Amino acid sequence: MPRNLFSCLFFIAAALVAAESSIPNEHYTPAERKHWSFHPRTQPEIPQFATASDRAWTKNPIDAFILAVLQKSDLAPAPKADSATLIRRLTFDLTGLPPTPAEISAFLSDKSSGANAKLIDRLLASPQYGEKWGQHWLDLVRFSETDGFEYDTHRHDAWRYRDYVIRSFNRDKSYAEFLKEQLAGDEISKIDEEMRIASGFNRLGPLRKNAGNQEVASSRNEQLTEMTNIVGSALLGVTLGCARCHDHKFDPIRQKDYYRIQAYFAEAQPEDVPLAGPDEQAAWKAKAAPVEKQIADLKKAMKHLDDAQKTAAEKQLEDLQDSLPEPLPTLFSVNDDPAKRSAIHVLARGDYQNKGDAVAPRPLGVLLSEGIPELPPDVPNPRKQLVDWIVDPQNPLTARVIVNRIWTHHFGRGIVATPNDFGRMGTKPTHPELLDYLANEFVANGFHFKALHKQILMSNTYQQAYKTPLWSAGQSKDPNNKLLWHFQRRRLDAEEIRDAELAIAGRLNLKGGGPSVMVPVDDELIHLLYKPSQWQVNKNPEDHDRRSIYLIAKRNLRLPMMEVFDSPDMQTSCPRRESSTHAPQALELMNGSLSNEMARKLAERLTKEAGRSPSKQVDLAYRLVAGRSPNEQEKLVALGFLEKQPLAEFALAMLNLNAFLYVE
Amino acid sequence: MPEHIRFTRNRREFITDAFCGFGTLALASMLRAGTVNPLAAKTPPKPAKAKAVIFVFMAGGPSHLETFDPKPLLNKLDGQKRPAEFGEAKYQFITSDPRLMGVKRTFKKYGQSGIEVSDLLPHMAECIDDMSVIRSCHGDMVVHSAAQYQLFTGRILPGFPSMGSWMLYGLGSVSDSLPSYVVMPDPHGALEAGQPMYGNGFLPAIYQPTMFRPGAKPVMNLDLPKGVSLEQRRQTLNLIKGLDQANMDADDDEFGARLSAYDLAFKMQTEAPAAFDLSKETPETLDLYGVGKEHTDDYGRRCLLARRLVERGVRFVTVVAGGGPGNLQWDAHDDIEENHIRMASQTDRPVAALIKDLKRRGLLDSTLVVWGGEFGRSPEAQGGKGRDHHNLGFSMCMAGGGIKGGQVVGATDAIGLRAVENPYHFRDIHTTILNQMGLDQNDLSFLHQGRKERLTEIQGQVIQQIV
Repeated sequence: MPRNLFSCLFFIAAALVAAESSIPNEHYTPAERKHWSFHPRTQPEIPQFATASDRAWTKNPIDAFILAVLQKSDLAPAPKADSATLIRRLTFDLTGLPPTPAEISAFLSDKSSGANAKLIDRLLASPQYGEKWGQHWLDLVRFSETDGFEYDTHRHDAWRYRDYVIRSFNRDKSYAEFLKEQLAGDEISKIDEEMRIASGFNRLGPLRKNAGNQEVASSRNEQLTEMTNIVGSALLGVTLGCARCHDHKFDPIRQKDYYRIQAYFAEAQPEDVPLAGPDEQAAWKAKAAPVEKQIADLKKAMKHLDDAQKTAAEKQLEDLQDSLPEPLPTLFSVNDDPAKRSAIHVLARGDYQNKGDAVAPRPLGVLLSEGIPELPPDVPNPRKQLVDWIVDPQNPLTARVIVNRIWTHHFGRGIVATPNDFGRMGTKPTHPELLDYLANEFVANGFHFKALHKQILMSNTYQQAYKTPLWSAGQSKDPNNKLLWHFQRRRLDAEEIRDAELAIAGRLNLKGGGPSVMVPVDDELIHLLYKPSQWQVNKNPEDHDRRSIYLIAKRNLRLPMMEVFDSPDMQTSCPRRESSTHAPQALELMNGSLSNEMARKLAERLTKEAGRSPSKQVDLAYRLVAGRSPNEQEKLVALGFLEKQPLAEFALAMLNLNAFLYVE
Repeated sequence: MPEHIRFTRNRREFITDAFCGFGTLALASMLRAGTVNPLAAKTPPKPAKAKAVIFVFMAGGPSHLETFDPKPLLNKLDGQKRPAEFGEAKYQFITSDPRLMGVKRTFKKYGQSGIEVSDLLPHMAECIDDMSVIRSCHGDMVVHSAAQYQLFTGRILPGFPSMGSWMLYGLGSVSDSLPSYVVMPDPHGALEAGQPMYGNGFLPAIYQPTMFRPGAKPVMNLDLPKGVSLEQRRQTLNLIKGLDQANMDADDDEFGARLSAYDLAFKMQTEAPAAFDLSKETPETLDLYGVGKEHTDDYGRRCLLARRLVERGVRFVTVVAGGGPGNLQWDAHDDIEENHIRMASQTDRPVAALIKDLKRRGLLDSTLVVWGGEFGRSPEAQGGKGRDHHNLGFSMCMAGGGIKGGQVVGATDAIGLRAVENPYHFRDIHTTILNQMGLDQNDLSFLHQGRKERLTEIQGQVIQQIV
């Protein structure tokens, strides 16, 4: 086989004129192939403007594309956001944290023309950037550190993948490399730890284990399904998973296409690569052996016990299992095992017992010319073959999909509003030329994120204010702000709320990386776990104040505080957080233990740093919580309250305000 | 696992088709914003007989053979191999040389309908003329988690919305101080399918269940922190509202919604606890449910609480019987007698009390009570005295909510292995429940990942005999 498929395959342009395939159902009609996202990217012309004021506003091509569409709809952009708003917006956007009062003062007093660029560069270079943008990626790939399902077994070394993602963002790794390492790191290098950790990506899905007669074939089929579907939704932005049971109802993806993609994973097997040397392993075995013997003996004995005794014995068994020495460190990874290669068949209704035609690896037919054969089923390094096709600069989906994700996180809405579905049931791009322009630039710049962020963040489009004098015109013509006539206000994500509370209270522990932390939670929640002993609270209380990305991502126990603010369930790919508004959120922030504890700490901080003067306390509280000074009315209300009421209650109120929970 | 791509929606898109659940945007702000009131309970699209569902979930899989489906032939074949004419079955644990096991329970005809019920359930037997017994239920999976997912969500994998979430999505909430979809787990611990089986799946988060906790204070964060008085909190609430209003436009409906959420939260905090307070019940009622009695106290309390919630407009309540280790569920692998006598002694009286109590209060007509587990149990013995999981034929019961009483639906074969007469799948149970609530499986759908998803994967049928 040639180095990559593109040297022998052509995308749409060639395909449109290709001969009809003789294989029934494998022909893609011109109409099917015409769908916008399957077409090669265009080289759109950057709109030009006649008036000086328009030219002045269009600071970079993004602005030109945005302004052209706004003007077509008889809309105009909002004025520029003020500096205090901008630094808060940028700091949350790039780091997930609020700016400190010192950072705000420094920015406000920097009157140089390069102040914004300097701020953006500083934030992009901070280690917190990777923690914020890594979380977006972890959402997308439904990262979790447990299996899910009943046992929800902990994956003790999955945190290494989380750190790998954070590191990759901080190092501004090329997206092409990033994907290669995740899909095929083990095929690239068996001995490079980073590669082995990255390819743990293929194991991130939930994993069913059950007692008794194991359904080995069913379980393998589920693993293959997980590996396949995530490629569709997270990397290609198509609902590939729909074609598992039948030809896709809306998009030109045949059921056969689905299983051909699955065939790239036929040899992939989970592997925990030991990090410990032989001596360490021997020492571990020696330590574990007596306990393991006890477990085996007890299991034998249990067969002859009556029920009352058995319940006690089960408890004893659990204790024994818990008393095994801590597992030795491993790399949570995969490898190819040709001997265990699963035969991949088209499965009628997705049922693993209902096998149809055997298939071998091949990319999606609609993106190939007709009649392209499958690769041999035993093609070496199959996942490398797949990812080479995915990251080929000519792949019409990959670059569009990822730049749209970046855009989505910056603006709250994508150019394509359905980031995981670029198919016919997805929404059409509001600015198709801009999307292609950004994707072209991204590819030309070597798939690097930081340049893309900077171009977006430096645009006047991004730096618009939320409020505009043309509000009612905008509301009537474009109530959803699809065309970006003002900046879209957003509520903080669950992690941002927790992290910001800790930061404002002066308690945030910025230590990065390492094994995940379990914080104290209500006994009732632990009790709801199938195995309550899984929840082992970290002994060092300073660990409890670490950033949320370092808290354990456990499928069967999400922190209620995070859940109530729409943290994803880690079962399936989450391209964009919901932002719901409901009473349990108010109950959590008013009565929950975290906000009350942080409010007390914030009150202490206000006394310590602003002294006894209520006026100064209110000013400082607003600077910490809202990144600005209070307005007259706010100050009046706050001071009125403080005449009779305790400072801690004022601090609690601050952590409940829109001015805290929203970024404008 | 099939993909569940969360729909991209901003708040405006979201409220136009979504809101009606617990703790959502409050009425006042919506009216102020000039939008439709999404909080109001929706009128069911079809005539509805039931307004609420109480699912008394017998977790772990109660035996149909020891409860509602007498099989005298089993006793005759006790210890023998299954005759070939009954066909094959796959169990989770039983592997080699399975032998049929007779039933030690005795059955008696009850009520005017004369339906046979075993002596395990003497109290429920008294309600038999109000109940329909569906003896021909079947599901696709023989392991707990997958079967539980299918029972609750219609699919064998996590990530799909449960019945309760669909109900809330379709019908909205009539209570503004109580959550409208409640799950009361068994205090002994979790089940194999865990939290996702009760969840909202890909439906918006407002349709999620509220998991009640054991004890007198079942809802989280309704209590004030220690040392803070209600009067103090009222002041703080006013401060929050005052400060928010000092920095918002009058027509800002999103922030308006947040203000209303605070009002609602405060209302819940002050009013909901009364719903949880069983001390207002008469001694006779408490006694009916077995509150204060050794075996029935916990489940009796929870069933009584379910009635109090339904009285106050809650749509869907799941009261879970069984949790933690298998033997604390109906999962009688080791000894069917010991396990089922114990589980029945905890649940029979409370479930019967619930039906009787609803009936005498005139609530049974509008409240559908569903009894059942994720599967039944094997005609063959496991380890001599136990029974393994069994999904090919088992019993579920329904009462109230317009369901005809005194009915037996379908039948299993002579050893209770397979539903052979009028078999009904979980999807048919779901369709029937939806039907009683005035909903239709095809209309109650949610566009998700380009597909109109619904509760039933394959078209279900209403069990016409009982509606």
